[in-house]
Amino acid sequence: MSRKHFPLWTVLAVVLVAALLIGGGVFSSSSPSAAARAAAIESVIRCPSCEDLSVAASSAPTAIAVRAEVSRQVAEGRSDGQIKEYLVARYGSAIVLEPATTGWAAVVWVLPVVVAIAAIGLLVLVLVRRRRRGDGDLDADVRSPDVDPVLLDERRRFLTQSLADADAEYLAGDLSDADYLALRQRDLTRLGLLASTSSTASTASTSVRDTPDTLDATTGTAASTDPSKGPATARHRRNRRFLLGALACFAAALIVAVPLFSSNRLPGQTATGSVNLSPSQQLARSLDQAAAVANTGQLGQAAQLYQSVLSAHPDSAVALAQLGWIEYRIGTAGSSTSLITDARAKLDQAVDLAPGDYAAHLYIGTILLAHDGNAAGAADQFRLFVGAGPPARVLAEAAPTLRTAFAQAGQPLPAGVPAG
Amino acid sequence: MLVVGAGLIAVLATRPPAAVTEVRSPLVGNPAPSIRGITVDGHAYALAQPPGTFVVLNYFASWCVPCQQEGPELVRFDFQHRQAGDARLVSVVFDDTTSAARSYQATLGATWPTLADSKGELALNYGVRAPPTTFLIAPDGRVVAYLVAPVTAAGLDALIARAKATGA
Repeated sequence: MSRKHFPLWTVLAVVLVAALLIGGGVFSSSSPSAAARAAAIESVIRCPSCEDLSVAASSAPTAIAVRAEVSRQVAEGRSDGQIKEYLVARYGSAIVLEPATTGWAAVVWVLPVVVAIAAIGLLVLVLVRRRRRGDGDLDADVRSPDVDPVLLDERRRFLTQSLADADAEYLAGDLSDADYLALRQRDLTRLGLLASTSSTASTASTSVRDTPDTLDATTGTAASTDPSKGPATARHRRNRRFLLGALACFAAALIVAVPLFSSNRLPGQTATGSVNLSPSQQLARSLDQAAAVANTGQLGQAAQLYQSVLSAHPDSAVALAQLGWIEYRIGTAGSSTSLITDARAKLDQAVDLAPGDYAAHLYIGTILLAHDGNAAGAADQFRLFVGAGPPARVLAEAAPTLRTAFAQAGQPLPAGVPAG
Repeated sequence: MLVVGAGLIAVLATRPPAAVTEVRSPLVGNPAPSIRGITVDGHAYALAQPPGTFVVLNYFASWCVPCQQEGPELVRFDFQHRQAGDARLVSVVFDDTTSAARSYQATLGATWPTLADSKGELALNYGVRAPPTTFLIAPDGRVVAYLVAPVTAAGLDALIARAKATGA
């Protein structure tokens, strides 16, 4: 960087800081209105019954209740902190969308500042070191006695090419006499300096190269080293150690952070979560989780999971059929007519959405047989169930019910149903 | 990276599945917020503080399947403790119409107070997110348990026994 550019950077920095201060409202003398305060608080309070929505963005009854409470407390003159504390004391710290400023969560706030300061410090360090090398001395990096010969060769080739280019441009009439002479003078001077550095480095490397030979003669070993790579190799080793150390620290921090911040898995949920899953894969996995929970007999929780699926995918015939079946089972256990009616409506809806889905036909047929005593109706549904090609395991499990229905209806068993 | 991967797998795979029974709440261990309001039958109700007996505070909705699952268990719990007088039930409607909740409670056979909470104030006071949610309040007025799954009469009895054992 040239020294004359420094004021420009200073001006830019001053403008940036001033803009941040003005934009941040530091110089604002007017206090926000009660409505503005309430709106600001509502924007950082999570809707209790929603997924990752603020109460300001949600119309859920719980969000409306929280908004009313926030407005009431703002009107009473309570501070933002007091209002948040009130909500945290009831819902827990997760009710606030912003991470906490205390405890482990404070890392989220501190880390970006630390990284930004480190980045700025690094930038300043690099710029200062460049400046110390000297603005006019373009070859300061190859002036050291232990300079890398490869770098020396590269610089020599560059200057030779630069001279050739200057000759060509001069012959083509693109350079004036004065400019050409100035360029030529500059590059020849630099080449001369490089030549003197090269001879010094060569001498140094020769003396270093002699040492191992002497040692070899005394010890009889066949060790050979490349002295030109000595400092570079050591630097590479240091860099590699630093990188490995940083990776180890990162790994340790990750392993500590995961149990601290991750939430518990749902039953049946995989360890890898839902990262990189397509929407259809996520739907399939949600259905698998719900089915796994239902298989353990936790019908209430399974119903909640299926309801979650339906809130995201209202047209999921599988979720409708399974939720309908769970509702029927709970309804019969609790003698709830309304629940059984609701279950049948869901199963009918599932059939409308996916007439070829075997599960809904099986469930409807079972309800017709067990609840209504309608064997003929059940047989019709079971015929559709068999025609939909259910898995052999499901067909085998359902076979006794099918045999009962077709026997009571006086109809022959469809092909493929085990006779028992 | 292998170490990181193995560490993450070990941590995540050994974490227990989410238990939808008793969970942490900032309210547990603290005095219960006041419980007062209008019942679904239109009567004013206020729970004394401290209540002097164990109180099961249950948030429910008629449309909520898990609530329907736990309904008969609440009836059983109420029946078992009504005579002894050592515990009582108070229900609060969550995100439901008063008429639907009243009809549901009548069908269930619930005879304990059911508060309408049409503005969601009681739900907010207790930090309720979804039904069913149940709080157990000790005779001295402290919240001793917070449950976010269908409860059972036996489960509530166990919580009461545990609270008694710890001096509640």
